[in-house]
Amino acid sequence: MREIDPVRLEVLKNAFDTIADEMALMLMRAAHSPIVRDSMDFSTALCDTQGQTLAQGVTTPMHLGSFYDAMKHLMKKFEGRIREGDIFIGNDPYAAAGQHLPDIYIVEPIFHEHKLIAWATTVAHHADVGGIVPGSNALGATEIIQEGIRLPFLKLADAGVHDEGIWEILGLNVRVPDLVLGDVKAQMAACTACRRSFLELIARYGTDEIQFYADELHNYAERLGRAEIAEMPDGVYHFTDHLDGLGEDPEPIVIQINLHITGDTITVDLTGSSLQVPGGVNTPLPFTKASVYTALRSVMKSEIPNCHGFERVVTVTAPKGTVVNSVYPAPCGARGITGYRVIDAMFGALAQALPERVTADGMGGSSVPTFGGWHEGKPFVFSETVMGTWGASDSHDGQVGVPHMGANQANVPVEMIEASYPLRIREYGIVADTGGPGRHRGGNSFVREYEFTAEEGIVSLRSDKKDFLPHGLFGGLPGNGPVSVLTRAAGGQEVLPVLATKPYRIRKGDVFRHVSPSGAGYGDPLERPPEDVAADVREGLITPAHALTGFGVELIDGAADLSSTKALRAGMRAARTA
Amino acid sequence: MSTQDSKVRVAADIGGTFTDIALIRQDGRVATRKVPSTPDDYGRGVVDGVHQILAAEKLTPADVGEVLHACTVATNAILEAKGARTALLTTKGFRDVLDMRRIRVPRLYQPLYKKPPVLVPRRLRLEITERMDWRGEVLTELDEASVTAAIDLLVDEKIEAVAVCLLHSYANPAHERRIGEMLKERLPGVFVSLSVDVLPEIREYERTSTTAINSYVGPPVRNYLESLVARLTSDGLPQRLFMMHSAGGIVDARTVMRRPAQIVECGPAAGVLSARHVGHLAGYEDIISFDMGGTTAKASLIEAGELHRTDDYEVGGGISLSSKLAKGGGYALKLPVIDISEVGAGGGSIVWIDRAGALKVGPHSAGAMPGPACYDAGGTEATVTDANVVLGFVNSTALAGGSLKIDGRLSYKAVEEKVANPLGLSVEDAAYGIHELATTVMTRAVKSVTTYRGRDPRDFTLFAFGGNGGIHAVTLASALGVGKVVVPPGAGVFSALGLLYADVETSAAGACLRRLDTVPLDQVEAQFAGLEAQVAAELSQPAEKIAMTRFADFRYASQAFELMLPFGSDAAATDVAELHRRFEAEHERLYGYRLPGSGVEIVTLRVTGRLMGEESVRAKHGVPASDAGVTRNVYFSARYGRVETPVVGRGALGAAPRQGPLIIEEYEGTTVVPPDCTAALDADGNIVITLPAPAGVRTERHEYA
Repeated sequence: MREIDPVRLEVLKNAFDTIADEMALMLMRAAHSPIVRDSMDFSTALCDTQGQTLAQGVTTPMHLGSFYDAMKHLMKKFEGRIREGDIFIGNDPYAAAGQHLPDIYIVEPIFHEHKLIAWATTVAHHADVGGIVPGSNALGATEIIQEGIRLPFLKLADAGVHDEGIWEILGLNVRVPDLVLGDVKAQMAACTACRRSFLELIARYGTDEIQFYADELHNYAERLGRAEIAEMPDGVYHFTDHLDGLGEDPEPIVIQINLHITGDTITVDLTGSSLQVPGGVNTPLPFTKASVYTALRSVMKSEIPNCHGFERVVTVTAPKGTVVNSVYPAPCGARGITGYRVIDAMFGALAQALPERVTADGMGGSSVPTFGGWHEGKPFVFSETVMGTWGASDSHDGQVGVPHMGANQANVPVEMIEASYPLRIREYGIVADTGGPGRHRGGNSFVREYEFTAEEGIVSLRSDKKDFLPHGLFGGLPGNGPVSVLTRAAGGQEVLPVLATKPYRIRKGDVFRHVSPSGAGYGDPLERPPEDVAADVREGLITPAHALTGFGVELIDGAADLSSTKALRAGMRAARTA
Repeated sequence: MSTQDSKVRVAADIGGTFTDIALIRQDGRVATRKVPSTPDDYGRGVVDGVHQILAAEKLTPADVGEVLHACTVATNAILEAKGARTALLTTKGFRDVLDMRRIRVPRLYQPLYKKPPVLVPRRLRLEITERMDWRGEVLTELDEASVTAAIDLLVDEKIEAVAVCLLHSYANPAHERRIGEMLKERLPGVFVSLSVDVLPEIREYERTSTTAINSYVGPPVRNYLESLVARLTSDGLPQRLFMMHSAGGIVDARTVMRRPAQIVECGPAAGVLSARHVGHLAGYEDIISFDMGGTTAKASLIEAGELHRTDDYEVGGGISLSSKLAKGGGYALKLPVIDISEVGAGGGSIVWIDRAGALKVGPHSAGAMPGPACYDAGGTEATVTDANVVLGFVNSTALAGGSLKIDGRLSYKAVEEKVANPLGLSVEDAAYGIHELATTVMTRAVKSVTTYRGRDPRDFTLFAFGGNGGIHAVTLASALGVGKVVVPPGAGVFSALGLLYADVETSAAGACLRRLDTVPLDQVEAQFAGLEAQVAAELSQPAEKIAMTRFADFRYASQAFELMLPFGSDAAATDVAELHRRFEAEHERLYGYRLPGSGVEIVTLRVTGRLMGEESVRAKHGVPASDAGVTRNVYFSARYGRVETPVVGRGALGAAPRQGPLIIEEYEGTTVVPPDCTAALDADGNIVITLPAPAGVRTERHEYA
């Protein structure tokens, strides 16, 4: 067996990472829709000849490991028919091992001396792929047929010749063809960048050398992963989390994690999770796996390469036909929220094994309001992923203004929204007294309030955690649930359900106000240093009344009064055991 | 840019450890000096250094025509959280814009991440009742009572600085201006910045953050500059002080006091400017400037003689890799800076092995204390410098012309124990591996300003400077396919020299946000004229003495990232169809495609003004001829093994290329010339190293042309 040069390995790992990052930058800069360019809901990867990821430009962690199943599917389908100059397109969770219909894969084989040597792969969340609601994330779809255009893997270009028919069909089936076709081109630009840079690498090192170290990179990632797991306490850890459920009268949807840590391997079994539901929150298994990987990566200290080798140390299983391993015809347009919950549930299980490496529960991913309609003679769709608040940890208070661990997405500037859409944002900021009390306090909720300025249109919402609040850890109290209220210009108010299965008609002057869930506390709130509570009051993060009831701290002239606080806390402790 | 004949010009660049002083005479003769920085009062070190260099050159303060300066006062105020006690006034409903940021975090998979603290505490972020829309139309009139109430609170809080940033103020500054007047009246000594003066551009977080930074660093920068000017004056030195700003121009210190946030990145900018200047004189217009010091390496691009600038920048976020994907680790500062990419690989970077047996370099650094193992100051970790000592690239007994004694045996021991033994490599292979790996990390910095932006590094010449630039330059060039490396004289005080070469230059920008096909050109012209007047005022010069250049940022209507392109310099030369064509050509060059039929928008108008009529200085460095016939045993990779290598001074080289291997040792650093390269000295004293033609085939180089 050939000896491995650790320097060469690190050099090539860096080179692969550089290519994946270059692709991601290319895609982001060239992209057209806010969800790609601002939310960065896309991923890019350089894959080896087997379609295994060598490096992933991770912008959305929940895409980690999302290429392999799709690539296996593609390579099987086109076996013997993959040619230089081909470009593949696909999106279907069932016919192309994809994630959900808005996630369109654009994939290009890389050839050297007429031999396939690698793959340039991209996946991006598109602004619209048709279906029953603008944005194509209908919670109310009952089967995938209603969710938009379904693409098996097809050749968008065959040996360099573009299939104009696919472009035309795609353009016809989406509400905003400029954005969708523009973003497909941005994905192709990223693939071109990948091909160019990878061929330069081949020119420098040769195909054999690259192949050898590509294989070794997988082994290296596996070794790092195993070393981490070996240090975790062996055991079986269970955690049950929920989605509140669909529509106006929600039935809870169970996410069950059964985490087995044995030596240097981890098995995660999701048996006990709910059966798939007639609403768009079902996730195909590849996405569930990616979510599990994200949670595990987050408690590991090493810089593990984002390559396929890491997946070898983790086995993820879930019964078919469940909400975490859905089968045709389950709709999955809004499956992101289930992925977030899988990550949260994983953290719930991991908190038992590694209490210092996780936070208490946070807002549970993004809230996604979607506005649509016609304005000045043109259709518009505005959908944004609104984040984020975290639970507290052993080391500090919950953070506000940060993304969920599963998706590192940016907000859209208020001024940009107002300049581009018939919307006015009336408020965007932190809401006092909302974080779950604890020795460390959960992050507060924040509010985003939208006034609709077109004549008429619709609003819909994807959110969660109203019935099942963000859970605290080690005596920390839960966070708050969300509040989503539609105030009519004509008078009257409506409260939107967390997962609205039907869009709400709105008119000019109607105001939609969404207060996010907040983060939960960590540790007993009666152990929070009184001076920290006083500081929170000074900063307007909590009120004096909340200092009293939530933390047992009495303030006099803005400072914590230690003697009355002591007495108050003693009384509160006594009341607990009474 | 000499203003008074027969006088010398002196430049001072403050670094963490040393303050570099450079002096140039009318005939171009240059003198340089390094003096210790004085962190308790940086101005003292500057003035002492100036006196020292004058004494050494037998000159008096009266001989000095100008003092040019780059300092770290603004940066340090942010990094050390020692800025002014600052308040923010903003539109009702948006008090927490600085807290919510852009959400994104710089590192994935870190549940225990803690975001940087907001520069303005929440209780000092106050809301004003008023509202504009994006067209600048007033939706809610300014409620002056709400301003008065806010000011009352600020008086009680003993505020030192105020930032004012209202929603959509870039489209209509009226409300901000009125608040500015009210603040001036009630809080006369307080430093006030309005966002319309600092950054009149769309995107509220970036504009608020930039304005807040400006206010936060304002008082410390003002105090520093006022005290420095007072000191210069009392010592008989010129009281007119010029400062470098982050975009690479110099402006009067009084201008800096109004917009101090513009000097945050001035030190590194001066180095790039120096590379452009020296390169231009030697006939190089396409340059990668490469600055490698003790803790980081920096790269920047000069194309057709032009610097690359960006405003997509964060301060205080640690290492700033240009084009970095995940931002959010620092504070957004959206003022023009030279686009410099930085990676955590310098001479002091610590080498380590991770738990799966991979070799890693940095980002932790042994710093100046204890420094690399060979400094014998208690450092036991192997560093990049230690590897270079083992290889023989670096002298194993002393650095800096003999002034810093080192012990090469300690380097050998550190590399052996920390790297070679655990990995089962020979000490030489381990050291070469470290050298190569450090180079790989630096490659990333170069790529992020070249290939990531659609540029091929092979079309450029690498200019290496900084204490370690010459040691890694050829390995780096080779990895990138670059054919030529230039190591200029004075490479260790290169930024200070850059101050002497800079033009008096500043810029202004304004929001436009219109469709290109329907934009009223007379309005654009009027807006450009306003920006030019602003630039002329900042330079305190009549417009006819200033060369104005116009630019505009364009994008497809649905995009969020703009491309900056030159705009016709007068209204008659402005052709919408031509602008459209140029935008699409640049878009295709970068991204490989166009979108015919899609609308193009102008987002921002920009004007840069440069003071005309000054000739370029051609610096003359003394180059001691020295070839003592010394040789050293140097390891140039497994391919060559150990080679007995001549160690010479710069002056030993001549116009005729000399075949490597060679080591060129100078006070300011070492230059390594491998066996397969040649080195020559050009008329300006630059070492020019030519690499062998790469074996690899150039692939698809002109794909986008």
